[in-house]
Amino acid sequence: MTAAAVQVLGRLALSWLAVVTAAFVLLRLMPGDPVEVFLAQVNVGAGHEIVAAYRAQWGLDEPIATQFLRWLGGFVTLDWGVSFETGRPVAADFAARLPYSAAIGFGGMVLAVTGGFALGFFAAHRPGGPADMLSRVLAVAGQALPAFATGLVLLWILGVQLRWIDVFGGGFIERVLLPTLLVALFSLGSMSRLTRAGFVEVKGSPYYRTALAKGRSQAGALWHHGRAAGVLTLIAGLAPELTWIIGGTAVAEIVFGVPGVSERVVQAVNHRDYAILQPYIALVALWVALVMQGARFLRRTLDPRLP
Amino acid sequence: MIRGALLIAGFGVAASAVLWAAGYLQDPHAIDLSNRLTAPSAAHPLGTDHLGRDLATRLVWGAAPSLLVVAIVLAGGLGLGLLAGGIIALAPSPLRDAVHWLAVTALAVPTLVAALVLSAILGAGVLTVSAALLVTSWAPYALTIAALFDRIRGEVYWQASEALGATVPSAVRRHMLPNAWPALGALAGADAGRAVILVASLGFIGLSADTGQPEWGAMIHEYRMFLFTEPRLVLAPILACTFVTALLHGMLDRGSSLLRPRGS
Repeated sequence: MTAAAVQVLGRLALSWLAVVTAAFVLLRLMPGDPVEVFLAQVNVGAGHEIVAAYRAQWGLDEPIATQFLRWLGGFVTLDWGVSFETGRPVAADFAARLPYSAAIGFGGMVLAVTGGFALGFFAAHRPGGPADMLSRVLAVAGQALPAFATGLVLLWILGVQLRWIDVFGGGFIERVLLPTLLVALFSLGSMSRLTRAGFVEVKGSPYYRTALAKGRSQAGALWHHGRAAGVLTLIAGLAPELTWIIGGTAVAEIVFGVPGVSERVVQAVNHRDYAILQPYIALVALWVALVMQGARFLRRTLDPRLP
Repeated sequence: MIRGALLIAGFGVAASAVLWAAGYLQDPHAIDLSNRLTAPSAAHPLGTDHLGRDLATRLVWGAAPSLLVVAIVLAGGLGLGLLAGGIIALAPSPLRDAVHWLAVTALAVPTLVAALVLSAILGAGVLTVSAALLVTSWAPYALTIAALFDRIRGEVYWQASEALGATVPSAVRRHMLPNAWPALGALAGADAGRAVILVASLGFIGLSADTGQPEWGAMIHEYRMFLFTEPRLVLAPILACTFVTALLHGMLDRGSSLLRPRGS
């Protein structure tokens, strides 16, 4: 058990390090010097000494390997440096914003997984029934509708037509609940289709028919014998859904005006503010690696046939 | 294969027809302040926006960036995917494992994050959006093709073609691709839809090529303050986006079933 845990942790750390290193090198190798972008932004025609001074202050004058090691050490010890653009500490900025993003992303994922699993079960229980129709409609809508546009329409209906929410108020409902629901809604459909596929496979199996012959109800037999298969197919298809949830969180934050991390990152993109971009990439990579390794671990535990 | 190329060519012709038709419509930038926010009429089928620009014209012009990205992403994703899938299936161990790891990792890269990072590096634009989509979109093709290779190599007809001395490229064309099209077509349909939506999403957050150019996402962003008073300005680009996504899905999925080998 401990050996397995060490292996999982090792793999997690390794894939995280690979992604973070690649992103760091990519960001630093590309043309476009953040110092020049910054100086153009503040509209100062600076001489060589000032540029050099800024480069030294931001640690851009050292070799890439040194920069990377210094950054990595700082990231791990929660010393994330200062923003190139505003000069404020990045860690404090993230600490204020992360709760929103984490609540939306994590809440959205939990809602989508549990809701999708339940919907998938009922869709498989009665193919062609209301649950099946709903899951199909959600799956198609999730692929064909732009999420940000749906969010806007949602604001229009709830805020203007029905006047249920205060669009510009920014309370808990507007800033956390609605974005979370939006993120979950767009993932719910395909998650329920995945789950349904797992359950439907079980319905064709001899042990399911045996359970029915022994007098179990359809729903009972499907739940008892099918839930592991449902979970397994859901987990197997989790990667693309997870990438949506991260992108969807960013979109939802922007549409609903949530003061989360993604909003800050979009701003940082325009200013080449690497000090903001790097911790963001590192956090996203950590989150993806954690969920993927967790899913892998769960699969092994549920399916002893896997190596 | 030939029919696949024809499909893509037909798509290109349709895209240029849209552009050609757009030339015959009005100027999407023509500002007419005396006709601001007019209701739909004969002269302006969808009415005008807050600067008196014709909404229908801007809608048609707005298709251009989306269709360009779709074309680049489909061609690039299929090409890279075929190459990487071939490597995973046929290459010796270290290279094969490396490419396989890369494909599995690429699957977990959030497209929007890739787009944000690439915009920081390359600047916003149609090519940046295409590159961001390509970062992940090649991987499903590669894995599908590699799995198919593994399966087909056990088939008698593949061994027969090997025994007859067929070269790998011709065997791939004859035996592999016809089997691969249905799955690849479904993937391509999803990819094309994702491309349209990502272009609009990036346009909405202000990272499309040029905010002055008509582009659906940028239009939704520009008109969002009229959501409460003139919803048609916002709903029109949303519907255009949804319609094209659904169309691409249907076209490529059905295209793949048209391309399915006879008798299967």
